Amino acid sequence: MNTRKNEIERRICELLASYLESSNHPELEAHGEITGDTNLASDFTLDSFQIMEFMMEIEESFDILIDVNSLSNSHTVSDLAEIVISSLDDTAG
Amino acid sequence: MALLDKFAAADNLKAQLSAVGHDPTQVVIDKIITATEGLVEGRHTILAGTNNYLGLTFDTACIEAGKQAIETQGTGTTGSRMANGSFAAHKALEQDLANFFGVPYGMVFSTGYAANLGTLTALLKPGDAVLLDADAHASLYDGCQMSGADIFRFRHNDTASLEKRLQRLGERAADCLIVTEGLYSVMGDCAPLPEIVELKKRYGAWLLVDEAHSLGVYGDSGCGVAEAQGVMQDVDFFVGTFSKSLGAMGGFCTSRHPQLELIRYVSRPFIFTASSSPSIVASTHEALRQLQARPELRKNLWRNAHQLYRGLHDSGFEVGPEISPVVAVRLGKKEVALPFWNYLLENGIYTNLMAPPASPDQHSYVRCSVSAAHTAQQVERIIQVFCEAKEKL
Repeated sequence: MNTRKNEIERRICELLASYLESSNHPELEAHGEITGDTNLASDFTLDSFQIMEFMMEIEESFDILIDVNSLSNSHTVSDLAEIVISSLDDTAG
Repeated sequence: MALLDKFAAADNLKAQLSAVGHDPTQVVIDKIITATEGLVEGRHTILAGTNNYLGLTFDTACIEAGKQAIETQGTGTTGSRMANGSFAAHKALEQDLANFFGVPYGMVFSTGYAANLGTLTALLKPGDAVLLDADAHASLYDGCQMSGADIFRFRHNDTASLEKRLQRLGERAADCLIVTEGLYSVMGDCAPLPEIVELKKRYGAWLLVDEAHSLGVYGDSGCGVAEAQGVMQDVDFFVGTFSKSLGAMGGFCTSRHPQLELIRYVSRPFIFTASSSPSIVASTHEALRQLQARPELRKNLWRNAHQLYRGLHDSGFEVGPEISPVVAVRLGKKEVALPFWNYLLENGIYTNLMAPPASPDQHSYVRCSVSAAHTAQQVERIIQVFCEAKEKL
């Protein structure tokens, strides 16, 4: 995996941990380390509302726009990193 | 996964909802007595969750209009307007709606859901950008998604969040569509339309406002929140429904843009749906007249809204951010809200349960909607049963 994607994944992992902590998510401690393979829906049982909320955190952090349509099958941290990269590249033009 | 296995989650939800008592999604009102009262399991029940804002469902003029339409035009249209033709009554309602909003063009749909799907799928295409309030109704989401446009959410009623997204869109901002509601139906809060209009103008965007819950409720004429906030002339498209303050069924879009007339040619939810039946069109049209001729309905509605909001607030309940005919009470976890809602129902108060992910945050709510037809005694009884529920649960 390239360095850029590694770095973006690392930032998303931090954001996710922070989001789960701020929302007092019960499964945060039980799950352990968040990695690129972490699945938002199955590992943390985030519902559709929470996933949308978390997407806004990512948008703010990376100063990008995430199309709601791109989220339907993108539930791992690694998938999200791909979306962020795509959006950053779109913005760069 | 087998075809029918996907219903396991719904089956689980159904079991959870039924475990405490009544399933909030399956309440049967055995008999409607008045606009504000029904019989549920033999109990007289105050209807405090039916969006019947002006109480016109039992208005004698509306009922008479519906009866006459059935007798003179029949029970139904038996098809779409494109295939079967429009009845003169459809066209007359469209014109009067346009006049009411002070714009030249109006179009009616068979439901409010179809109005949003039909308008948004016609306005937007793949490659377009739409900025949607995060708490927008499902019909607005679905319309945007069906259109294939790129959908970007902004935080609910947060104009800073909207502006950030307009900035990030770059040149695309100049042709994007901003979609918002007038009155939001879960928390009962209004959009800050003057600020949104200011951004729309600065970036050259378009604006669609859904006045589903605010038609007949806000503004000197009852047009909605855009009228109340003085920005009607800056809204490109108004959408709304006939199933709330007008007491019937159907939806509409009005606009100052002549292209609204062309939506009839390209909107699949309009083209491929049977048109509204004559009785529905007639009672809706009469309700629109009543709305304009009887401002006292709005006065009564707001008197009741103040009474309920103040009563619940002063009894220690956490209510929505502003006084409106939609009064949401925050109850925290679903495990608390579900028995609370059941207690209300079993003691003669019908309300709506809103739980995640259908609520706008991590909390569950019991939502009331007030009617002009509620009496002060009925509103007092609603507050009393809420207090009893809090004490006992």
